[in-house]
Amino acid sequence: MSKVPALELNDIHKTFGDAEVLKGISLKAYDGDVISILGSSGSGKSTFLRCINLLENPTKGEILFNGEKLGLEHGKGPDLYPTDMGQLTRMRQQVGFVFQSFNLWPHMTILENVMEGPLNVLKRPKKEVLEYCEHLLNKVGIADKKHMYPSQLSGGQQQRVAIARTLAMDPQVILFDEPTSALDPELVGEVLGVMRGLADEGRTMLIVTHEMNFAKEVSSEVVFLHQGLVEEKGTPQKVFEAPESERCKAFISSTF
Amino acid sequence: MDFSVVVEYFPKLMQGTWVSLQLIALSVVLGGIFALPIALARISKNPLVSGLPFAYIFFFRGTPLLVQIFLVYYGASQFEVVRESFLWPILREPFWCAIIAFTLNTSAYTAEIFRGAIQAIPVGEVEACKVVGMTKVQMYRRILLPRAFGIVLPAYGNEIILMLKGSALASTITILDLTGMARTIIARTYTPIEIFLAAGVIYLAISMVVIAIFKQVEKRQNRYLGPNPVKLPDDV
Ligand SMILES: Nc1ncnc2c1ncn2[C@@H]1O[C@H](COP(=O)(O)OP(=O)(O)OP(=O)(O)O)[C@@H](O)[C@H]1O
Ligand SMILES: [Mg+2]
Repeated sequence: MSKVPALELNDIHKTFGDAEVLKGISLKAYDGDVISILGSSGSGKSTFLRCINLLENPTKGEILFNGEKLGLEHGKGPDLYPTDMGQLTRMRQQVGFVFQSFNLWPHMTILENVMEGPLNVLKRPKKEVLEYCEHLLNKVGIADKKHMYPSQLSGGQQQRVAIARTLAMDPQVILFDEPTSALDPELVGEVLGVMRGLADEGRTMLIVTHEMNFAKEVSSEVVFLHQGLVEEKGTPQKVFEAPESERCKAFISSTF
Repeated sequence: MDFSVVVEYFPKLMQGTWVSLQLIALSVVLGGIFALPIALARISKNPLVSGLPFAYIFFFRGTPLLVQIFLVYYGASQFEVVRESFLWPILREPFWCAIIAFTLNTSAYTAEIFRGAIQAIPVGEVEACKVVGMTKVQMYRRILLPRAFGIVLPAYGNEIILMLKGSALASTITILDLTGMARTIIARTYTPIEIFLAAGVIYLAISMVVIAIFKQVEKRQNRYLGPNPVKLPDDV
């Protein structure tokens, strides 16, 4: 295993107005790591994840991708902005993001949604992209719906398409922000099943989730956030069975 | 009432209709072309970029179309530079003055419609573009503009109907559009009711054709929308 982390976050801070939502979070993800991020509502999990690829602009901190530091500089306000849009764009192409609300493009078919990135962003040849995307849709179990539009699919199906769309970019790291929270309970399993498969393949993933059993089973590391700080981190065994922090203990016991 | 005048002057009315159609088609097409860059500039977060289109839209939406027509038609000839420039052969023609005024006017409205549509796109869909590493240009070309086009259709069809009705004002600067022609015929025949009724029916027929076309395009374009089509904000 390489010594350079695929993704390294150092001392990430974020304030919204007067509220300091992230108070210095650091994290390293090596290739093959599956890191689950837990925490009660409002603890800053989504904000942290969104800071990684600058959907949210952090106010302080460092972001390194394969050891390459993302250039950041202060603008007018407290936020940090990319010094080089090209560098950010390249990084984003290699860091996938799966949203809680899927965010498929509604005017494109399922297949078009999945092909868009590799075809028009990475400019790969069409034939190759088509083949690969059909393979991916097969893998997430949506192959028979490829010519439908997102509005014609259930939430679970849409989320599986969104995962396929992310995979189509061949990202080195995938970030998931509560991918099953918007789903009816009976649809959660199908999405977790797909994600479990990705973990087994050795994909590098950061997952914000409230699915405790899932986190316990697939994670190589678990991070518990509380009020914008890492309160507890370690192997799933440690965090779930012998947490040092009282808060983490209370959180874990309240969710099982 | 004697509708034989309508029959007698029908060819003349058709001539006027043709002029009206030209006025509408040209200004709607040109206005649509100008509207896009105006809308994109208007969206910009940089006040230096968004300031000018803001003022432009503010002026053309806030003043009567008739005043704008008069400003172009009577205003242009006030300037020596204009009269001596190569543009004078165009600016001397009432037809082109009307086209200019209509184009400026409709481009301001259409820009506002485009802006509303682009900003009505759910932020999550925009974020989905960012996370695959699209550049701004790719984002607009591949996702935002096609998406906005679907959202914009109903409002845009409406703008064309408004333009159709507004085009009657061309008759005030001696253009023999449908309304202008109707007035000349009436001056000769003294049958205002019959002729204006006929003109009204022709306007109505054109409106119906425009509406029917837009219904079709909308159906094709928005077949994906399912049960929850995006609604435009009210101020558009
Ligand atoms: N754009 C924003 N403007 C202002 N405050 C924000 C913004 N986004 C998030 N916050 C605040 O930051 C805090 C952390 O929010 P965040 O969404 O990161 O929490 P979370 O841990 O993901 O919670 P949940 O489990 O409910 O998704 C919350 O108090 C929230 O109100
Ligand atoms: Mg969240």
